[in-house]
Order: sequence, then structure tokens, then C-alpha cells
Amino acid sequence: MPGEKNFFQTFGKAFVKGDIFTKVSFLVWGLGYIGHGQLMKALLVTLVEGLGLYFLAFYGAPNLAKFGTLGTVKMEMVFDVTTMKNVVNNYDNSFEILLMSMISFVVIAALIAAAMMVVTSNYQLQKIRAAGKKTNSFLQDINVYLNEKFYVTLLTLPVLGVVVFTIVPLFILIAVAFTNYDQQHMPPNDLFTWVGLTNFFTLFGGGGMTSTFGYSFAKVLTWTLVWAFFATFTTFFGGILLAMFINDQKTKCPKLWRTLFMVTIAVPQFVTLLLVRNFFSNNGIFNTMMANAGVTDFLHNIGLLDKGLSYIPFLTQPSWAMFTIIMINIWIGVPYQMLISTGVLMNIPADMIEAARIDGANPVQMFFRIKLPYLLSVQGPSLVTDFVRNVNNFNVIYLLTQDVFVTNNQQLAQSNAKEIDLLVTWLFRLTQEYYNYKMAAVLGIMVFIVCAVFTVVCFHFINKKEATFS
Amino acid sequence: MKKQISLALAGAMALSLAACGGSASTATSTPEAASAAESTAASTEAAADGDVLDQAAAAAFSQDVTLTMWGAEEDQDLLREISDKFIEKYGNYGGKITINLGAQSEKEAKDTVLTDPTAAADVFAFADDQLNELVKAGALQEVQLNADDVKSRNTPASVDAATVDGKLYAYPLTADNGYFMFYDKSFFTEDDVKSLDTMMEKAAAAGKKVSMDVANGWYLYSFYAGAGLNLGLADDGVNTVCNWNEAPGADVTQAVIDICKNPGFISLKDEEFTGKLKDGTLVAGVNGTWRANDAAEAWGDNYAACKLPTYTLNGEQVQMASFSGFKLIGVNPHSANVGAAMLLADFVTNEENEELRFKERAQGPSNTNALAAASSPALTAVVDQSEYANLQRVGGNFWASAETLGSICVNGNPDGKDTQTLVDDAVAGITAPVTQ
Repeated sequence: MPGEKNFFQTFGKAFVKGDIFTKVSFLVWGLGYIGHGQLMKALLVTLVEGLGLYFLAFYGAPNLAKFGTLGTVKMEMVFDVTTMKNVVNNYDNSFEILLMSMISFVVIAALIAAAMMVVTSNYQLQKIRAAGKKTNSFLQDINVYLNEKFYVTLLTLPVLGVVVFTIVPLFILIAVAFTNYDQQHMPPNDLFTWVGLTNFFTLFGGGGMTSTFGYSFAKVLTWTLVWAFFATFTTFFGGILLAMFINDQKTKCPKLWRTLFMVTIAVPQFVTLLLVRNFFSNNGIFNTMMANAGVTDFLHNIGLLDKGLSYIPFLTQPSWAMFTIIMINIWIGVPYQMLISTGVLMNIPADMIEAARIDGANPVQMFFRIKLPYLLSVQGPSLVTDFVRNVNNFNVIYLLTQDVFVTNNQQLAQSNAKEIDLLVTWLFRLTQEYYNYKMAAVLGIMVFIVCAVFTVVCFHFINKKEATFS
Repeated sequence: MKKQISLALAGAMALSLAACGGSASTATSTPEAASAAESTAASTEAAADGDVLDQAAAAAFSQDVTLTMWGAEEDQDLLREISDKFIEKYGNYGGKITINLGAQSEKEAKDTVLTDPTAAADVFAFADDQLNELVKAGALQEVQLNADDVKSRNTPASVDAATVDGKLYAYPLTADNGYFMFYDKSFFTEDDVKSLDTMMEKAAAAGKKVSMDVANGWYLYSFYAGAGLNLGLADDGVNTVCNWNEAPGADVTQAVIDICKNPGFISLKDEEFTGKLKDGTLVAGVNGTWRANDAAEAWGDNYAACKLPTYTLNGEQVQMASFSGFKLIGVNPHSANVGAAMLLADFVTNEENEELRFKERAQGPSNTNALAAASSPALTAVVDQSEYANLQRVGGNFWASAETLGSICVNGNPDGKDTQTLVDDAVAGITAPVTQ
């Protein structure tokens, strides 16, 4: 693929040196192809251009015109007794305006890029004809896309998918962060509008005396990172240990053990988590067992548990809940890691281990000098992915604590956060329960930045490291 | 990599935008051979309003109409029965009426409706605490066909519960959605249940518990309102006013902390209540009619209900207050057939169908006549408590802060903060402006 600059240069050259057909094809795509004897292609590209322009004229333009204000006419309804229906005025729907405008921007960008490509391709045709050769017929063109340029055909659909399902929603998410879209401004009944950077100020501690978003953001972000770190490394090392135990020559029926651990994966995660949540609730079965076994009293005696509590607050007090969540996550996450580690461990060249043994290395030395570095070098990138996945590990946190954990911190409560919230669960609660889309969008951007920065830094580091290891 | 992150983000966004509807079941009627019995069937009801409704029905059902109605999962059979009667009554104006039912719990109706009001059902049941937010979001149609009739046939309290700024926005459906005390009358005498102290003392002595969900603003209100403190909606209709941090708020907080520490007391979430009833831990508990069947099952003939007891505040006995609660039927203004939807909402809440609801589902009617004819221990308790019950009119910022205050009390004030600080913090959150 030509680089961006290259693409513009080619276009510039084509446009300047092109004949009248090439030049005019920038505006009406088909004219160039007609001039260069490719009728079928002319028809098709004009149709595409027509559809694009039609969309812009009838759907894009009216919304783009209101893009600056996101609408000014509020919805009004009057009940008409004779028809028994509501008569609705011609109101503005801020979200629709935003959505259609974003799509229009993408369409405009695509149309311009396509027009430039049309000019470039017409210039090629012009050159071919000038050289006295014949241009491709329509069938020949199709053939090219099924053979030499088959990758273009293959990539078209995925690229379209990414644009429609990722790029456009992402633009909208980013745009919402700059509006006041919340429960007081919910379309279709109400309008929302641009508020600039206000929401970002709110998140970083602004927003007046009563806003605690800054405080909550700091707390939630810290716990998110702590959680992601522990969740990633506990399951990583747990998985390695488990894999090594199972693969050890002294272990009997390793297949049985491996299968048993696989069962955890086979059961849908949310079923497990919801059950576990009930086990660990204040009046749940686990607490009853602990009380009967005397563990609760023991904790009272050593001062780990407040005397006023007759139960262990596994999922209801911040530090206990954090501990319990990480523990439960080990149990859920280790089998996956075990599977991967088993594969990697089996791939360690036998001669390396053999050589180490002959040199008199003990198992511990072999683990730290050979197996672990090997595992790390192979699994480094997947560790980074795991970390990012844990930053967004919605299931474990949400399913274990929803409806159970209530924060005792008024400042957190005021911004609808909890001590054990990750950025993404906080975001979810803000949208689902409080319709605070503006702050959720800001948080979404923050999650993106955290993940992106972490990934870029890590991969930079890993790439350097990899060069030295091998 | 980046692509994955952005996909994940988009996924999160998509999740948040996805509307969740209820499951639907369908039944249809063809116009009943549109002929003879046409005129007499529809018009024998109430005189003046009957005419309004007849004209309305003639206008609404002259063409085919499809309506969607959401109600509680457990009420689906009842709603189907009522819908069939509705179709029978109005099916002869020429149009074909189809009513689709969906399951949507009344207590979470707001969450589903507000996600996308245009995609919500034409007619839906909801609890009255959501009225204000639904009206603000423009998700409720003002009752415009026979408002006077609706007002006159229901109890004044239930009409108030469905009114915002003097306009009636919903049709009262039940009048017993508040909370009161259930108890086992083989354990407590009628005198015992007058005081929470006596109850807890007796329960503790027998190793049993009295329960209440203190870590929940809805129930926590009971103590503060009982002590004469105020909580309500500000004039703007969005923000909350609250003076729980004035005297004797701090003392109330201390009283609640003490109650939670009492060995005869346990704070249970609604979902945990049934389990503890069945395993015999509970001998009494504060909850609502939706748990009446569970209590009746657990205690059999010993099941009884009464108004809330008194609790000790600074050495004196204070009657616990409560939120009154009503279920309402709302009409979605975004409905393509608002008029027809209003007729259906009206029909579901008329005297005959509220009686039927009481018979089949034991839900206390809001209709004055139907209420007079109905009787059950729970209903009597609701009526007794109604003297101390207030309409629930609070802003959106009440719940999270009150829940946290309750949770601190349940956990025995773990950080050892001064009780005045506790209420000050809570009130700061409760009264924080909704838009910043």
C-alpha cells in the first residue's frame, strides 16, 4: 500500500497531468471512465457516488446543519381526541443529529478519498491509452480482483465492518464526552448540547464543592491497576505451578487432573460467579461453615475482624472484598493459564534441561534460570493482553459484587462508585443505573488511554528484550 | 492490539446502548363476526364517563391496533385474562385488536423504559417511586380521557401518588406496595409487636431474629421520618431536600447503629429474606406484600402482620414511619396508539379487574370499592401503617447516599466516625445538585 503522502502525491500528479476526462472524474466519477472507454465501471462508480451524495443531501446535510447546537427544538406532544393519537411537533433529537453527523463525516471522508482514487485510476487509464494499448474490459477487471488483487476483495468486508461497528461508535463515544448527555438531557424528550471540556474538569477534581468524581476516579483507577496486576500475575504463576505439578513425572494420571481443572472452564463463568457470590454472602453457607469451625471467633481474637460483626464480610467490606475477589479470580483464571503453560513448557528444548541437569542444577534453579525466562519470553505479549483484559474484567467484579457490596464511603457513593469498582464496572453502572452517559464516555476514553499507554510501553519494552534473549 | 481495545470499548458502549425488552406472548382476536351484539356490549357501564370512553373506543378501534403491555412475571396469566376481556369488549368496532404481553418487574420498569422510551411498551406497570423520573423523561402520558373518573374511583392517597404538578400521569393499580411488619403470632403477642425493643429482646432470648433491610434508603427512611425529620423533593422537581443532619438526626443514627448491633436483629436484603424465613431464623421482619405468601408459607396459621413498631430514641419511644407504596399503570406517550393504550390502562385498573387482581394475586386494590371488599392481614397492616406513611417523593441522589449511610450503620460504624459527621456526609450527598 502506498503511504499517505505518496497517495496524495500520486493524486496531485494525476490531477495536474490528467486530460479533461481525468480532471472531471473528480466531480462526476463516471465521466472519466466513459471517456476512457469503461462503461460498466462508469455506471457502477457513478451509482456509488450517487448513493453517497443522496445520503449526504437528504440525511447528512439537515443533521450537519444542526451539528453545532445538536438541535434547538424540544419535543412537544398534544393528544388529539378525535384521532386518539399524539400529535408530535417536528422536534430535534440530539442523539440522532450526533449519530447522523458522525456517519456523514465518515461518508464525506470516504467520498473524497474515493474521488481521489478515481482520478488516479483514470490517469492510469489515460496513460495506457496514450501508449496505444487497450484498457481492461469489465470482466478483465473483475478477474484482477479475483486473482492478483484478491487481498483487496478479501479485506473489503472486514474493513467496512471495522468502520461501521468500531470507528463510528468510537467517534460517537468520544463526542458524547464533550456534551451534557445525562438523565436531565435525554433524547428524544430533551436536548443535549456541547459543553466543551467540562466533563474532563469534573473527572479531574473540578465541578464545584459537591462533585466527588475526581476523588472517586483516583480511587477507582488505583484499584483497577492493582487488581489488573494481581489478577494477571497470580493466575500466571498459579497456572505455571499447576502445569508443572501436573506434568511432573511423579504425578499419577495427569490427564484426569487436567480434565478436572478444565471443568471450571466448561461451566459458564457467570453461573459460577453468581453461585460463589451466594456462598460468600454475609449470611451465606461459607460464613456458616466458618462460624461453626470457629474461624470467625479466631479472627475476632486476633483482631482481624471487628467485634461487632458476627460474620466475615467476604464481599461486603472493601479490603475483604478485594482479597476475596482476587482469590476467586485465581480459581477461575488458573485453568486457562495452566493450558497455555503446559503447551509452552512442553516446547522447552529437552537438551537445555538435560544440559542444566548435567551441570548439577537443582529444580529451583532450573525453574528460575530456564523455564521462567523461556515462559516469559514466549508469553510476554499474552501477559500484556491479559493485563489489558483484566483492566476490563467486567464479569468477575460485577457479578461478584452487584447488589451485595455497598460502599461505606459517602464520597464514593456520591459519584456512584464503589471501592471495588473497576473503571469499566463504574462506567457500566453510570450508564445503566444513572444514565450519566457524559461521564461514562469520559471514563471510556480514560480506559482507552490507560490500556493504550500500557500496551505501547510494554510492547516497546518487550521488543527490545526479545532481541537480547534470543 | 489497538483494534482489540477499541473493539472492547465499542462493545462496552454497545452493551450500554442495548435495550432489553421483555419476552412476549401474543393473542389475537378477530372482530367478533362484527354484527348484532355490537352496541349493547360496550355501553352499559358508568353513565357520563362511559360516553367519553365509548366515543374514544369508536375512534381508537376503527382500525387494527396492536398494543404491548408490560407487567410483572407473576402477573402474566392475570394480564392475559384481562387482555382477553378487553379484546372481547372493544373488539367489535371494526378493527382487530392484538395485545402482546411482556414480563417486566414493576420495581425496575423505569430502568428499561428510560433506556429507550420509544422502544418501551405502550402500557406498563411500575412502582410509584419512579413516577417523577418517568415524567421528567417524558415517558408518561398525562391521563386525558377520563381523569376525573380515575381520580374519583381510587383512594385519594393513590391518586396523589400518580400526580405530578397537579396532573394525573398514571392509573393507580394497587395500594399496598409499602412496607410493614410480618410476625409469627405464636412467638409474639399483639402487645409485643408494638415496640421493636421488646421484639428484639424476645427474639434474642430465643436465638431468633427480627429483620429489616437497613442498608437501603427506602427502609432507612422509617427511622428518620419517625423522628420528625424531613426528606422530600425540591421545588425544581429534580433535586432532594433533606434535614437529617439537624437534631435529632445524629441520635437517630446512633439508635439505628444500636439496633443493628442487637443480637435479636438482622439486616437482610429482600432476596435473603425468604431463605431466612424458611430456615426458621426469623420470627418477624419488615417487608412488603410481595413476601406475604412466603411468610404465610413459613409460619402457616401463625402468620400475622401489623403496622411498624416503635423504637427507642434518646430513651423515648418513637413510632417508625414508612414510605407508602403504590403500583401504577402508565401509558407511553411515544405509543403509536396512545388513545387505545389509555383505554387499556383504564380497563386494567377498573374496579372489576382490581378485584380480580386481589382474588388471583392478593394485591391490595387502590380502587375504593374494591378495597372495601378486600381483606387480608397484610392489607390491614398497610391500612394501619398508612397513618404514618408518606408519599415517596425524592430526587435521584437520595438512594446511593442513604444506602451508604444504612450500610455504615449495619456494619457498626467501622471507621468510628462521629454520628453527626455521618449524617452530615450523607446529607451532603443526598442534597448535592443533580446537574453540575
